[in-house]
Amino acid sequence: MNQQELNNKLSQIKAQLISIEQTADNRIYLSCEARNAYAVNKFLFEDVPLRFVIATGIDSDDCFEVIYHYAYDEIGCIINLKVFIRDRENPQLESIAPFLPAAEWIEREIHDLLGIDFKNHPNMRRLILADDWPQGVYPMRKEMDAKIARGWTCETSSRPAPESPARRTVPLGKPILPVGPFHPLQEEMEFFQLTTDGEIVTDIDMRISYNHRGIEKISESLQFDQVPYLVSRICGICSASHPTAYVNAVEEIAGVTPPDRARYVRTIICELERIHSHLLWVGLAGHFIGYDTVFMWAWKYREPVLDLLEEITGNRNNYGNVKVGGCREDIPDEIVPKMLKDLDEVEKKTEMLTKAVLDDPVLHARLKGVGTLSKEDAIRYAVTGPTARGSGIAIDVRRDDPYAAYADLDWNVIVQEQGDVFAKAVVRLLETLESVKMTKEAVQKLPKGPIAIEVKEIPPGEGCGHGEAPRGETFHYVRSDGGNRPIRHKVRAPSFVNVPSFRASCIGQHIADVTITLAAVDPCYSCTERLAVVDAHGNIVRDYEMLLQASRDKTAQMQKELGWPGLKLEDLQIG
Amino acid sequence: MWSLKKSVWVFHVNTGACNNCDIEIVDCLTPKFDIERLGIKLVGSPRHADALLVTGGVTAQAAPRLREVYRQTPKPCIVFAIGACACDKGIFTTGYHMVGPVDKIIKEVDPNAIIAYVPGCPPKPEAIISGVLKALAVL
Ligand code: SF4
Repeated sequence: MNQQELNNKLSQIKAQLISIEQTADNRIYLSCEARNAYAVNKFLFEDVPLRFVIATGIDSDDCFEVIYHYAYDEIGCIINLKVFIRDRENPQLESIAPFLPAAEWIEREIHDLLGIDFKNHPNMRRLILADDWPQGVYPMRKEMDAKIARGWTCETSSRPAPESPARRTVPLGKPILPVGPFHPLQEEMEFFQLTTDGEIVTDIDMRISYNHRGIEKISESLQFDQVPYLVSRICGICSASHPTAYVNAVEEIAGVTPPDRARYVRTIICELERIHSHLLWVGLAGHFIGYDTVFMWAWKYREPVLDLLEEITGNRNNYGNVKVGGCREDIPDEIVPKMLKDLDEVEKKTEMLTKAVLDDPVLHARLKGVGTLSKEDAIRYAVTGPTARGSGIAIDVRRDDPYAAYADLDWNVIVQEQGDVFAKAVVRLLETLESVKMTKEAVQKLPKGPIAIEVKEIPPGEGCGHGEAPRGETFHYVRSDGGNRPIRHKVRAPSFVNVPSFRASCIGQHIADVTITLAAVDPCYSCTERLAVVDAHGNIVRDYEMLLQASRDKTAQMQKELGWPGLKLEDLQIG
Repeated sequence: MWSLKKSVWVFHVNTGACNNCDIEIVDCLTPKFDIERLGIKLVGSPRHADALLVTGGVTAQAAPRLREVYRQTPKPCIVFAIGACACDKGIFTTGYHMVGPVDKIIKEVDPNAIIAYVPGCPPKPEAIISGVLKALAVL
């Protein structure tokens, strides 16, 4: 479907809309009243069909707005549906989660932060705010601005917390397995509660909030130029992707394009980030199934990449290198030869790791068919990144809606059909090699010229920026009123949609496979480090060490069955 | 106190960090830095730990858990606040969900707690190692 056909399709629902507006080639804004929202959303998701990205709740002065963001990846188009809720006293919307599970979490989040009620939501419990957060206090409402500025925190409030449990209660007698709570991503620090029947997982429930820092609200108090420093600290390991997506959005509002050299520098930083992030993942995945050597080696190979980043930006992580209109630090020409040499080295080591994984019969036996996420579920949960590409969905923002210098470079999108842990591992490993190749090309082609243009004012307007982070699409929506701060800044990190897909991939799995299934999405490592199986009376019957041991024993057992002496890195060609 | 000086076992607590401080802590274990050669070891339970490495500015949801982890750690123990967030909430100072920083929460449980600070965003692994060793030296 090209843009014209998409527009024709969208005009089929014209009667239910207030307006259709096309602000750029690939940005469409629709708007409608609250009563039509359900039907229009259903049409967009099921009939067009579009990929659900996220929804943004906004407190506009006279009404509440909920913006549903969708993407049509074939042409890289973002379609935003603005819904106006005029009743401020009793804001209500029909939930779309019954047909679109990907919307379940965000509706709960909007309910927590803005107090909008979603009718017929299958699971409306607290998601993002602390258990003891006072009832009826909605931090994203404008009336809270002054209080928060005066230092209000939930601890100083005298209002009572709600009585309804934020965790799902499980009938007595069923063994449950809590995983968590500590896990260090933006909104995605989780507590998992697995219900088990013998060794099989029968249900999974998640609780996040532990890591909720209120970044979207803090962002409204910062100037446009300060926000990149904040958003690079959403998730340390995506600290290039988030600011890049944010400046994409702001540059869209301001209508500026960064100079060529800046586009290349951004690409190089983003790709170096992907390389070290994927290597980090390979190491952790090795650790979970008992290949500790892989853990140590992969993390060792990652160091030169961090050193390069430090040399360019001044920090191993949290680079703060992008700004609206370009980049802050240039890549000095002197270090180009060293970069190329180091990248060659990284490439060799990654090839070695890839070969080790693809050739190891134990890994095939251990990871194939484990934690499978089918293509249908991947679409319903709207997953992105390697999690989607491992399930046969060929989406990649770098290709679909190119930003930075991706359109100028020669690279491939890696896709695997099976959807299991092995497929995701293969996607990440091959992707790392693509990234190394791409980075080398970008370094060689690095154009001359300035790295930034001056952007004086951000006009009123709204923009959507997205980018392909190591874990998937990060999406930023920014609205400006012409002042020097964003009046609304919505962030969706990839794990926010990838993590709920555990419901589809973990149920029916063996307990011994849970650690690796969770890790396959690469939500981050900490959650799996605090893990215990508790029986219905709250007694710990298994802790993290034992679960890890179960996972490792399973690998060892398979090694024995296959008569395989185990992976010996010494035997492999190491350069 | 002298018992703490050799072979410190540490437990890592994330209370709302951006993940970077945590990665740098794990990085200390890997071949380039290898803190185990200094007798420092990460353990899986606070009950086995001599020291806590706390990252993040403590969110409302994490605060009760941090208090509990501190209660479970055998005394005497040292608390390390790793990173700008843990030291003073860092860039997230104005967040409505932040109730930290770490020393405030720990002192609610134990006003005499020993707390050491390693600033940086994130502190490099070298800085973390040197911070831990310096603190042990003055005990
Ligand atoms: S100090 Fe910096 S790197 Fe560490 S958790 Fe805070 S924001 Fe992240």
